[in-house]
Amino acid sequence: MPYAIVPPYLLRRVAAAGDHYPTAAAAARRSLRAGAPSEPAPVRPFDPSQSYALPDSPSQPDRRISDAGGTTRLPGRLVRREGERATGDEAVDDAYDGLGDTHRLFDQVYGRDSIDGRGMPLEASVHYGRDYDNAFWDGARMVFGDGDGEVFAGFANSLTVIGHELSHGVVEHTARLRYEYQSGALNEHVADVFGSLVEQYARGQSAETASWLVGAEVFTDAVEGRALRSMLEPGTAYDDDVLGRDPQPAHFDDFIDTDEDNGGVHLNSGIPNRAFALAARAAGGFAWEGVGRVWYDVLVSGELAENAKFAAFADLTIAAAVRRYGVGSAIAAAVRSGWETVGVPVAAAEPAR
Amino acid sequence: MDVVVVRSGGLAGLRTEWRVDVGAQPDADEWDGLLRSLPWRTATSTAPTPDRYVYRISCASHEATLGEGQLTGPWRSLVDRVQQTVEPTRRSRPPARPRSR
Repeated sequence: MPYAIVPPYLLRRVAAAGDHYPTAAAAARRSLRAGAPSEPAPVRPFDPSQSYALPDSPSQPDRRISDAGGTTRLPGRLVRREGERATGDEAVDDAYDGLGDTHRLFDQVYGRDSIDGRGMPLEASVHYGRDYDNAFWDGARMVFGDGDGEVFAGFANSLTVIGHELSHGVVEHTARLRYEYQSGALNEHVADVFGSLVEQYARGQSAETASWLVGAEVFTDAVEGRALRSMLEPGTAYDDDVLGRDPQPAHFDDFIDTDEDNGGVHLNSGIPNRAFALAARAAGGFAWEGVGRVWYDVLVSGELAENAKFAAFADLTIAAAVRRYGVGSAIAAAVRSGWETVGVPVAAAEPAR
Repeated sequence: MDVVVVRSGGLAGLRTEWRVDVGAQPDADEWDGLLRSLPWRTATSTAPTPDRYVYRISCASHEATLGEGQLTGPWRSLVDRVQQTVEPTRRSRPPARPRSR
């Protein structure tokens, strides 16, 4: 690539390491062929003992971080561009690093260069608003508040939050799940899945050692809570005098029917979240492989309806697992079992051939 | 007469409610003027944006649901005023209603 920041000798070394890191090696070989278009990740049997993508292998994001300066005007002042040195402003530098980690997961593991798959710049604004207790994706950029300092300590320091916001961008460029009711909860779910996988990939954590928490860094010490959400144990992330108790259901029987929160999108996402975490733990190994690849396949398949409900999504994940890993595969069984445990109805199993 | 603002959604999915008894306010006339200036009838919510707040504002027989990005002009003035007047109550779960799926 004409603007590659990775020295060719390193690329050649990664390219030669095909035994342990076949995907990374293939990516490196692609980079060595200047200007070659990226190819989709090839199908391979799942092996929990190895990662096909090297967790520290580089990618080439194009990051732009702006400072909203405590106002709600976007984007604010551009303060750090790709390749520029750290600014010393923690929110700016954390956002920069987190965007890099997120870009790396999608690029190295799923062969997707940035949000749109075509190297789109990754833009973020920090220091949005005053005491602003939120972070969001506005269709063009990620926006981070600093928190109020009493309950929320800020958002840009949370890698899972950064991965979550950017994944909303990926959803917008792929399945376009409508952000309300069940399809909205699936949109939230997918953002939590890849937000969590960004952190697991960056830290080299297996499904067993991962925390499965989203936003573990956002609360101040005054709050009785571990995180915003627990994918593995929805409903247990916090129980606090001020915030109340984590309202997420962990089973389809406890689905919350409401018009608030765009139809409970941040509440009911607990149900598919638990299905994913359980499937990943049952499969073992690294969750960005195996089950993670299955979820990504569904996202880009073109088969997922914008208004899809949980059951339709679940069926597509099982079909994708079968397509990628085979009818009797451990991954297909783990995915099916995950959905069954959380009570989402799935189509009857095909007999193994 | 109460004016009620319920904020839901946001990345954290927290529900926060503010309730002001307008008649009990020392500047009740100003509140009345502000409430009357709101374009209740033309308020329609736009396509939701991931992780932004949703506001449901109600007063007497009026109700409007607005995305955070639509909270401008008199709507913003009202919400700011409500938030400055009373402490919020938080309830992490929305009120129960009969199930239909």
